Amino acid sequence: MSNSRTAVLFWQLAILVLVLVVWQWGFEWSRALLPKAYVPKILDPYFVAKPSLIWQSFLRLGCFADSAGFAACISGNDNNLWVATLVTLKNTWWGFLFGSASGIAVGLLLGRSDFLARVFGPYVVALNSIPRIALVPLVILIFGLGDLSKIATAWLVVFFVVFFNTFEGTRAVDRDQIAAARLLGASEFTVLRTVVVPSALAWVFASLLPAVSFALIGVIVGEFIGAERGLGKLIIEAEARANASEMMVAIFVMMFVGILLAIAVRSLQSYLLRWQPQFEASA
Amino acid sequence: MIVAPGPGFALAREEDERAAPRTRIAVRGLTKRFNASGREFVAVDDVSFEVKQGEFVALLGPSGCGKSTILNMVAGLLPRSGGHILIDEETVETGKVNPRVGYVFQRDTLFPWRTVEQNIGYGLEIARLSKTERAERVASAVEKAGLSGFAQSFPRMLSGGMRQRVALMRTLILEPEILLMDEPFGALDTHTKLEMHKTLLEIWERERQTVLFVTHDLGEALTLASRIILLSARPGRLKEDFDVAIPRPRDPVGVRETAEFGRLYSHIWHSLGEELRRTKAD
Ligand SMILES: Nc1ncnc2c1ncn2[C@@H]1O[C@H](COP(=O)(O)OP(=O)(O)O)[C@@H](O)[C@H]1O
Ligand SMILES: [Mg+2]
Repeated sequence: MSNSRTAVLFWQLAILVLVLVVWQWGFEWSRALLPKAYVPKILDPYFVAKPSLIWQSFLRLGCFADSAGFAACISGNDNNLWVATLVTLKNTWWGFLFGSASGIAVGLLLGRSDFLARVFGPYVVALNSIPRIALVPLVILIFGLGDLSKIATAWLVVFFVVFFNTFEGTRAVDRDQIAAARLLGASEFTVLRTVVVPSALAWVFASLLPAVSFALIGVIVGEFIGAERGLGKLIIEAEARANASEMMVAIFVMMFVGILLAIAVRSLQSYLLRWQPQFEASA
Repeated sequence: MIVAPGPGFALAREEDERAAPRTRIAVRGLTKRFNASGREFVAVDDVSFEVKQGEFVALLGPSGCGKSTILNMVAGLLPRSGGHILIDEETVETGKVNPRVGYVFQRDTLFPWRTVEQNIGYGLEIARLSKTERAERVASAVEKAGLSGFAQSFPRMLSGGMRQRVALMRTLILEPEILLMDEPFGALDTHTKLEMHKTLLEIWERERQTVLFVTHDLGEALTLASRIILLSARPGRLKEDFDVAIPRPRDPVGVRETAEFGRLYSHIWHSLGEELRRTKAD
């Protein structure tokens, strides 16, 4: 057991080191060793930067290497790395929160009412067929360049994913469990609260993990198309200057933001679903 | 003149009940038709019977003869196609829950996200009992069901028998006067089943609820019931009605050695056998 765990860790580290080494020196080495036609363009630091450059860009963007000092650098740039990260994180979080809350609410409503499900069914299917990203320019036109348009974009992406899962989860609730609850004195609302919601929760959570990544994607795309601040904006600016290492910094930060959000959802999930076997140990 | 209901009054009532126990469940001309892929078929055909206060009646019949259908109509879970059902002289309305009636399902309907304790306390929680009173009653129910040490467990950690004990307690904790049970031990192995019979007999012999117990297991019916109503194969019709005069308190193993058990067993088995053959011939 511990033996195989050490082995896994060893290989994970080995791969990391290998990637970093090839990324850092692969292009130089292959230029020195190989005929010109065989030098892999994909390793060209002009396109993909390289770890040392990315680290320098990180220090610069993060205000760690500024001659004026950290505080002055931070206040001097209103889209410095930290502000950009905070803005993107915040907008992703709110978009995710509103999107999943409304998705859950509408999913429960349509899931519990055959009439409403039949009336709204075709509209939901039609709206869901629109590629959400196509709506982003419109959203920015309506809500402006600020945070609101990013939250709205994330909401758009998250809502449908969560809605469909909640709807299906509500439909899959065991009818006998509902009957049992009613026979034990539960009203229609109590059945919803104490049987339908907890039982649909597994389905809801199955959608929340992808939803949180979608929210991040929504916010970044929003920032690409029109924004004043944020990590997406940082990338667009770096692109204009053909600065690959700065783009890479933003990409890595996004990765960490994504991991952070996923961990938050995961731990909420394993607490709320601790009655399910796969979450037993983590509760 | 107003007379305060003193001890004399209670005595009079008791005597009254001994003389002629009142009817708790009355089923008259009950019929149920289902629509199976456009074709209508009769699942329950003109069934009439009564269950008196404190009786333990088993509704016995081959699988698919309409036992669950009858029970669900009595519980108000299913609309009837014809006939009447009265509980305490009041017509049963579909979808309306009668707090005096408890129901135990054939299938496992425990809430998997609730612990044993929370499952058993569900009805009390809904009735808005205070936390302390709830905890007290739940603890005593857990004890009574022999589930001490499992109060905090989730249902999936329990064996089938233990789960069914929880289901039984979840219903019994609300102290229903009338208990409807749909093959509650149908999915259990023989040994566990006998243990459940023991538990149920102990509870019933102490509390004497009015019970309508659905089963296809003749041995189970004879072990538990004071009366057996035998249904015919599909469509379910009333076939015969037997009194089970095995003395109480009963022991689920001991009853099998009584002469009455053997006599009724072979007699009903013969009758049930005819129905089983008819089911197969279909
Ligand atoms: N909702 C339903 N729709 C159509 N047919 C049903 C329905 N419920 C039960 N049946 C049929 O009615 C008959 C009696 O069913 P049931 O009462 O469950 O039998 P039992 O409980 O005696 O085994 C069976 O043939 C079953 O297939
Ligand atoms: Mg049945």
